[in-house]
Amino acid sequence: MLKGHKETLISAVALVVALPLFAAPAGADNNPPLAPLGDPPIPADNPQTPEKIELGRMLFFDPRLGGDASTACSSCHNQEQGWGFSDDLSRGYPGTVHWRNSQTVINSAYYGKLFWVGAASSLERQAPSAAKGAVAGNGENDVMEARLAFIPEYREAFRSVFGDEWPKIGNAWRAIASFERTLVQTDTPLDRYLRGEEEALSEQQLRGKALFEGKANCIECHNGPMATDERYYNIGVPPAPRWEEDALAQITFRYEQYAKGVTEELYRFIKDDAGLYYRTKQKEDMGKFRTPSLRYTLYTAPYMHNGALWDLTEVVEFYNNGGGENEFGHNLSPLIRPLGLNDDEIEDLVAFLEAFSGPEIRMTVPELPAYQPLPDPAE
Amino acid sequence: MIRIEFRGLLKIGVTAAVGMMAALVPGAAEDFGPVPQIETNAAQVELGRRLFFDKRLSGDAAISCASCHDPARGFADGLPLSAAYPGSLGFRNTPTLINTAHRAAWFHDGRLGSNLNDVTREMITEDYMMNMDMRLMQERFKQDPVYVEMFEAAGYGEPSNGGARKAIPEFLKTLISRNSAFDRGELSPSEQSGFTIFAGVAGCGTCHSGPRFTDDRVYNTGVPDNPEIWRNPMRHTTFVAYAMFMGIENFMNIRRDPGAHVRGHAADGSDVGTFLTPTLRELTHTGPYMHNGVFATLEEVIDFYDAGGGDDPNKDRRLMPLGLSKQQRTDLVAFLRALSGDPLTGPEFVWQDPIPTEYDVIDDWRETPN
Ligand code: HEC
Ligand code: HEC
Ligand code: HEC
Ligand code: HEC
Repeated sequence: MLKGHKETLISAVALVVALPLFAAPAGADNNPPLAPLGDPPIPADNPQTPEKIELGRMLFFDPRLGGDASTACSSCHNQEQGWGFSDDLSRGYPGTVHWRNSQTVINSAYYGKLFWVGAASSLERQAPSAAKGAVAGNGENDVMEARLAFIPEYREAFRSVFGDEWPKIGNAWRAIASFERTLVQTDTPLDRYLRGEEEALSEQQLRGKALFEGKANCIECHNGPMATDERYYNIGVPPAPRWEEDALAQITFRYEQYAKGVTEELYRFIKDDAGLYYRTKQKEDMGKFRTPSLRYTLYTAPYMHNGALWDLTEVVEFYNNGGGENEFGHNLSPLIRPLGLNDDEIEDLVAFLEAFSGPEIRMTVPELPAYQPLPDPAE
Repeated sequence: MIRIEFRGLLKIGVTAAVGMMAALVPGAAEDFGPVPQIETNAAQVELGRRLFFDKRLSGDAAISCASCHDPARGFADGLPLSAAYPGSLGFRNTPTLINTAHRAAWFHDGRLGSNLNDVTREMITEDYMMNMDMRLMQERFKQDPVYVEMFEAAGYGEPSNGGARKAIPEFLKTLISRNSAFDRGELSPSEQSGFTIFAGVAGCGTCHSGPRFTDDRVYNTGVPDNPEIWRNPMRHTTFVAYAMFMGIENFMNIRRDPGAHVRGHAADGSDVGTFLTPTLRELTHTGPYMHNGVFATLEEVIDFYDAGGGDDPNKDRRLMPLGLSKQQRTDLVAFLRALSGDPLTGPEFVWQDPIPTEYDVIDDWRETPN
């Protein structure tokens, strides 16, 4: 299939219907408390089975689900890098660099909407856009689907899991989603503490927890079992320095603006990631990003949508200073303001953030089955 | 959209071909004559030439047009079956681009009948060819100051995929055969005798007519299958992807290239195995031969025609055993060789300066409009 392309520079009509996304009214009382994490929701139309999960696991590690068979999901969601990618901007498809930080896939099963600006409504829909995007997998359905048909083990698995005569690419995404729903962590020190194991948190962490829920007011946005309200805010993360220093990053930056169909005026002059704006095309959504979970962040540095902050101490200092500055200052969340934490308090808060992560989740990389010629049905 | 175009084209092709059958078979050298040169715009050609050799036009920046269309091999690749975008292998022979600007339809199956702008787009965006998102390609061009100047000089304004799709065809227009022994009127006695056979008893000129020795129509000559396509999953997958996209029925179970059936869709399958008549110019540079490269040498091709073509129930009626003598076969090969001209390997055809694989940073990025 031919790759998508646009004849005109700017599409006049925004493809996405604007949805009003209201911020929660301020007031800590309304915030759901931190809570232990239960099992992830499983969609009725894609139930978990061990066979499906195993198929999804293989596909997650298989670079043949991508343009030049070099870049698997696991290339950017590397288990040794917190199931993300340890650089400010994610690596891209060969010949490119991505323009955002790679998110961990651990616990992605719990989100209502995926990606930094919630651009995908389910894991089943997220996977194809990752595999096909020009700076991610750069694959096309027909070639990827054709490849699956030439791998006998996949043929067999798609047949028994989905009843496919020939593997269907849509079912590859379903299997991957099922695998991702197993990448969860529900027994962090914080979970254990909240389930009544009082010694699961240290004294220092308990002081940090009090700050989190009080003076530092993190709970305003990072609340509930996932420590996220899944709303969108501009907290003032500064633009990625690489856009000024790295030619490939400059190319991708412009490509993203163009591909997202911003106005010509904006395309010419924007020098930062407008975040939620690309979905809603509402000025008041510029610079807003989804509050991310704080779970598993011990392993996922650097932080923020463009990896601007390199460790958790930097993150807490960032908040302590009242956030940072970007092009969209007019949208800065009023909830972000100087906190007046002293050095000890900063350390306590960082220690508490570490309680959102249990041990690293690691697994053996599956051995991938090889292509085999297809027997001629006429013989 | 594309497929409707093919259907229209085929209808015209079919009726015209039927009308032609009774018409005069060309026989004199003037009926073939030299291939006319095409007027071009120098700045646009120059831009097109650089683009043609630039690997950054492919998704992972690994291959350029010239990776498969190599000037030293007559703008083909010397392989039976083409390479492809990394991760895949091709299922067809790479055709020469020399004289392609005069064609009326493109690709072995003739599936594009519009213009080289569309052909270029297909080459760049097709996932098993260059697999490029042209929106990203355009931003790559804008990052290269040489392109910024060249697009401007070519009159295309700032770098754009639209400009690239105009400039590359402009370059292709310069790839015209020149100075073959046939065009100079300097055929040896053996070559001359080969021409007489070609245009006479062997009836080659019915299909291989005009200055490029092709009528741009499709025929079934019964060229045998190339089993390498089905033996090698890297090629078979590419075929499946193609067949899926072209809407070919039962594509997982066929083991044969349907050819121009993709544009004709004859319900009885009678157009399965028809392929576009290729040019016979520059053959000395462009082997192996046929849509699937099954013949390594011109001698094999002549033996094939001498036997009346291949085995196929729908084979064109014009192909019949010829009973040529050994000498006649030798002469015919000699004539075909005399249709090759000067190799197009000079600086007017081959980009000379190194093309950077990396890009310059825009230093004052914040102050520079995108
Ligand atoms: C080239 C790198 C790259 C590849 C390949 C890649 N990803 Fe990602 N992934 C990213 C980046 C970067 C983001 C964040 C992008 C954004 O929000 O714009 C992301 C986001 C995600 C998210 C969202 C997580 C959240 O918190 O919302 C999921 C889930 C995910 N990827 C799964 C996958 C799967 C499944 C594949 C393979 C089909 C894949 N990714 C391939 C880089 C990559
Ligand atoms: C106004 C809502 C809000 C408040 C209050 C808030 N955050 Fe955040 N947090 C966000 C958003 C939104 C992001 C992502 C911003 C971006 O990438 O541009 C984020 C990102 C983070 C990250 C990075 C996570 C990752 O995976 O990259 C950490 C860690 C974090 N916040 C911790 C805290 C702490 C600690 C506090 C309290 C001091 C706090 N946040 C207060 C909304 C908030
Ligand atoms: C990976 C190898 C490859 C690359 C790269 C490639 N081509 Fe091709 N090209 C082919 C093959 C194979 C065909 C025949 C395809 C078919 O018949 O289905 C072809 C056909 C063509 C044709 C039609 C010729 C005819 O007479 O029918 C043109 C014109 C062409 N290519 C131009 C280009 C241009 C311009 C580029 C660069 C933008 C390019 N190609 C890149 C392999 C390649
Ligand atoms: C009925 C029409 C027809 C006639 C008559 C015909 N050809 Fe062809 N020729 C074709 C077609 C169609 C192809 C391409 C077939 C394919 O690719 O499978 C072809 C391919 C060729 C090729 C291969 C060119 C290349 O670049 O791959 C040569 C050489 C050739 N013909 C020479 C001849 C000679 C010599 C004769 C007379 C003995 C002849 N042809 C008679 C239609 C014809």
